[in-house]
Amino acid sequence: MTKSFKILEEVALADTAFEAFGDSPTELFLAAGQAVIETMANPKTVQARWERVIERTDPELAGLLFDWLSEIVFLKDAEGVVFREAKAVVTEDRSHGGWTLRGTLTGEPIDPGRHDLHNDVKAVTKHLYEVRKEGNRWIARVVLDI
Amino acid sequence: MKLNTTMEVNRVTDEIWEIPPSAKDGMLVPARIYATEQILASMDSGVFEQVTNVACLPGIRRHALCMPDGHWGYGFPIGGVAAMDVENGVVSPGGIGFDINCGMRLIRTSLLRQDVQPRLEQLMTELFRKVPAGVGSRGFVRLSRHEFEDVMLKGARWCVERGYGWHDDLQRIEERGCIAGADPSKVSDHAVQRGISQLGTLGSGNHYLEVQVASNDRIFDRETAAALGITGEDQIVVMVHCGSRGFGHQVASDYLQVFEKAMRRYGITVKDQQLACAPFRSPEGQDYFAAMNCAANSAFANRQVITHQIREAFSAVFGQSAEELGMEIVYDVAHNIAKVERYKEGELVVHRKGATRAFGPGQGELAEQFRKIGQPVICGGSMETGSYLLVGTHQAMEETFGSTMHGSGRTMSRAQAKRSVRGEQLKKQMEQRGIIVKAVSMAGLAEEAGFAYKNISDVVEAVDRAGITKKVAELRPIGNIKG
Repeated sequence: MTKSFKILEEVALADTAFEAFGDSPTELFLAAGQAVIETMANPKTVQARWERVIERTDPELAGLLFDWLSEIVFLKDAEGVVFREAKAVVTEDRSHGGWTLRGTLTGEPIDPGRHDLHNDVKAVTKHLYEVRKEGNRWIARVVLDI
Repeated sequence: MKLNTTMEVNRVTDEIWEIPPSAKDGMLVPARIYATEQILASMDSGVFEQVTNVACLPGIRRHALCMPDGHWGYGFPIGGVAAMDVENGVVSPGGIGFDINCGMRLIRTSLLRQDVQPRLEQLMTELFRKVPAGVGSRGFVRLSRHEFEDVMLKGARWCVERGYGWHDDLQRIEERGCIAGADPSKVSDHAVQRGISQLGTLGSGNHYLEVQVASNDRIFDRETAAALGITGEDQIVVMVHCGSRGFGHQVASDYLQVFEKAMRRYGITVKDQQLACAPFRSPEGQDYFAAMNCAANSAFANRQVITHQIREAFSAVFGQSAEELGMEIVYDVAHNIAKVERYKEGELVVHRKGATRAFGPGQGELAEQFRKIGQPVICGGSMETGSYLLVGTHQAMEETFGSTMHGSGRTMSRAQAKRSVRGEQLKKQMEQRGIIVKAVSMAGLAEEAGFAYKNISDVVEAVDRAGITKKVAELRPIGNIKG
């Protein structure tokens, strides 16, 4: 299993852009989710005292990933939390011709005294947004507005 | 001159550069960049690409503009100004930005540096305690949904009614802190959930609260400065930079999705997905405008609650009331917003994204005390350098739809800034130079280092020389709070 992401400095001067990789859609979602939660806070400083399950379907994998990452940003403000982990399982729903996500976010209420906080992500943008498959590898390019 | 573009860029004056419509297929008007030769040469390629993309948007009038602090943004460049015909033109959330009514507020005091310096550490600690900052920070104001809708409708006026401000404050806020046309029914539940707990919070990124000094030697127009309550003599002032927080960010995100679908229906194509737009007069366009005004009003309220907290902090530290300390608002102005304004072309929806309204003297929209001097403009520099107070001019009304710059503009990526300096190291360096820093995130602090930005004085000089705003005073930081 290879799940990873890299920051693309040349893409977003004032913001954060990254490319996430995975050998499967699930690994891609894990990598991209990790990139978003690490942009907001160091997950190693966050405990898993809060949990939220997210289930979504979308005809397009790109749309599903956009929703997943946007939901993480939304919950950061709506629930006032930062995240320990963003787990995801993505399956292709052949009967309906689309994709299904079951994601589980863990984390805890923000505590600046204990958490190594980074940036307050405003939004996941569609600027240069792309999900593609190269050989057996899934790649997503995402720009976050900071 | 070597530019980061291969497009044809023609000199109009020493501070105005024009890209003709022949430079790109679909351009309806020329693009104009306000910059000195040196600033133009430093602009990234995104500025040229994006300002010419904006020049292709339906209903755009006269010019697509970019100010000298311009840099790459989403769809529109930061520093972008575009005016669309209200009848035949579009409204685009990308022309306003995710942080709707991100803006600047300046508060004066009658304290001098010598009064504050001995208690500066205590003051910064108290401000840091009273004004929540950083990722997902929450404020002390608890609101029901109904009350939050009141905030959307009334803006800063809601705060004053609740005791978070003085009646006179409203005269010193653009649009008196309350923009008409807000409709909470056009705002999603998601947006409400994101924003309802965040009134009175700074956020992170480049948002800050700064204690600054107005020195005699940095006042450029003494009469105008005095009219704005800036006396110099090492006077202490406080500057706030923030916007509508998660609420505005969600409104923008929601309507970008709506507009993507609407564009197909209206047969509009754009050069960049982030330029998603809809006809201003369409149901989608009007819904967005009503929701955007809700977010704009919430941003005025956000800065008003922060002002209340700043006054409380000063009062606690100096043992006098905020009234006794002369803590009046100098001005509060948006730099991410769209407004319907009248120009020689008729009624236009003017998008300003990282650009500030800078109406000249005599404009009826300005409160009485500003009609003689022009609209005050507050431009924030990096946390290490300084910020500026300026005023709008007649020339801005003629040339730039009454608009000017908003800040200094980044030149270095966040990751590169973090590689160049550690947050703790930067904090120490700034303290050695007499600037006390309180930051929630040390990584975030390093990202905002002064060297990651253009020199604000160069940028201000460009708009001053171009005549679209006149500089009044430079304000130098001695204390900084960052998210």
